[in-house]
Amino acid sequence: MTQENISGAAPSLARLVQELNRLPGIGPKSAQRLAYYIIRLPDDEAYALADAVTSVKQNIVFCEECQNLTDASPCQICSDPRRDQTIICVVEDPLDVLAMERTRSFRGLYHVLHGVISPINGIGPDQLRLKELFSRLDRPEVTEMVVATNPTLEGEATAMYIRRHQGRTDLRITHLARGLPVGGSLEYTDETTLTKAFQGRQEI
Amino acid sequence: MAPPRTYRCESIILSYTPLDEADLLVTMYTRDRGKVRAIGKGARRATSKLMGHLEPLTVVQMSMANGRSMDIISQAEVLQSFSELKGDLDGISKGLYLAELVDGFGAEDSPNPNLYQLMIDTLTVLQADTESDMPLRFFEFHLLQVSGLMPELYHCVECRIELEPDAHRFSPNVGGTLCLECNPEDAHLRPLSLRALKVLRLLDRSGIAAASKLTMDDSLASELKSLLSTTVSYWLGKEIRSNSFLERLHKDSLPEVYK
Ligand SMILES: [Zn+2]
Ligand SMILES: [Zn+2]
Repeated sequence: MTQENISGAAPSLARLVQELNRLPGIGPKSAQRLAYYIIRLPDDEAYALADAVTSVKQNIVFCEECQNLTDASPCQICSDPRRDQTIICVVEDPLDVLAMERTRSFRGLYHVLHGVISPINGIGPDQLRLKELFSRLDRPEVTEMVVATNPTLEGEATAMYIRRHQGRTDLRITHLARGLPVGGSLEYTDETTLTKAFQGRQEI
Repeated sequence: MAPPRTYRCESIILSYTPLDEADLLVTMYTRDRGKVRAIGKGARRATSKLMGHLEPLTVVQMSMANGRSMDIISQAEVLQSFSELKGDLDGISKGLYLAELVDGFGAEDSPNPNLYQLMIDTLTVLQADTESDMPLRFFEFHLLQVSGLMPELYHCVECRIELEPDAHRFSPNVGGTLCLECNPEDAHLRPLSLRALKVLRLLDRSGIAAASKLTMDDSLASELKSLLSTTVSYWLGKEIRSNSFLERLHKDSLPEVYK
């Protein structure tokens, strides 16, 4: 954001605009509009927003098992004895766990990569939670890995990388069925399609 | 209000960024209009007719409408999907390397059909053999050529004497090869072996099919790779980001003792 846009504004207001401007998809104009909206909020609502930001930063941690975001590690899913410990479903981000859970068709565990390999954006294997995945796969009780990265070019590349670099020879590796349209994202796929894709998962 | 102006163009998709509401901001290189950035509305929804047509490294016949700030993709028809290339991790990583370079060297409102064709030709050859690195070397060399940055290979760029068949020196900064007598102050100056000079001249004179069949030992291959990617990166003005993943895959493929 340029200095002229905020010159003349009170320093604390300018600072809020600047912080909001850092958020993805928020340009200088939207940042200004949001800042003025926040100023006009009743005190308790504005403090509730600030408190939610503070609390999420203080309380949210990565689950030591699945790397999902959680208030306590291991997360609810990983510490639930009724979940099937033999199957791990690998997804790109926490929203995909929510999408899969909504289908109620998967009773195993997850592993959240927090992204995909994206060479053009400088994101390689080391920027993802892959080391943690490979060490979970070393446990003999794990017999199947469902790779549920999005059916995009980068999602497929990530799936191929995982397949090439995991060390087990006796692991069943499956892929969500091709019912999922290419270029789609799990987040925007309806539950019926996702359930079908999961039930029809194929060995690769 | 006048109806929006529409146009059609043949394009190769280079990359996209997800936007709000399942929209995509797509960067493509078109045959007739240079680099174009346009919005694919709702393209990430399973019901979208654009779904799957906007993945990088796909050749698409685009129908576009002029929007207020950015053009809108109204229709996309896949002409070539390079699906075999995309079924291979090395193929994808090499293809994305080309895409990053075309994005960097291509400019908006500045058509360069030769650059477009170079990208298509290189992907076609890569698809047939994803293991060879020679198509990448051919691409880097001709990327410089079609961008008007072709390095001088036949005369010393300083004193203009015709180069003898001998070891010389090379610098992207001064535009190519130097004889051993000329010593300009230049941080980019590097030795150039006679063998590497010969391969560069061969890349200059031959088509991609012949150039890609060339085999060479590891030390010559790495001299050429370093020389060309340094030159390309010099003109790009920044590091080529997808290079590190390419190198990672290459290192992973080596036997344990070489790591
Ligand atoms: Zn967990
Ligand atoms: Zn000279």
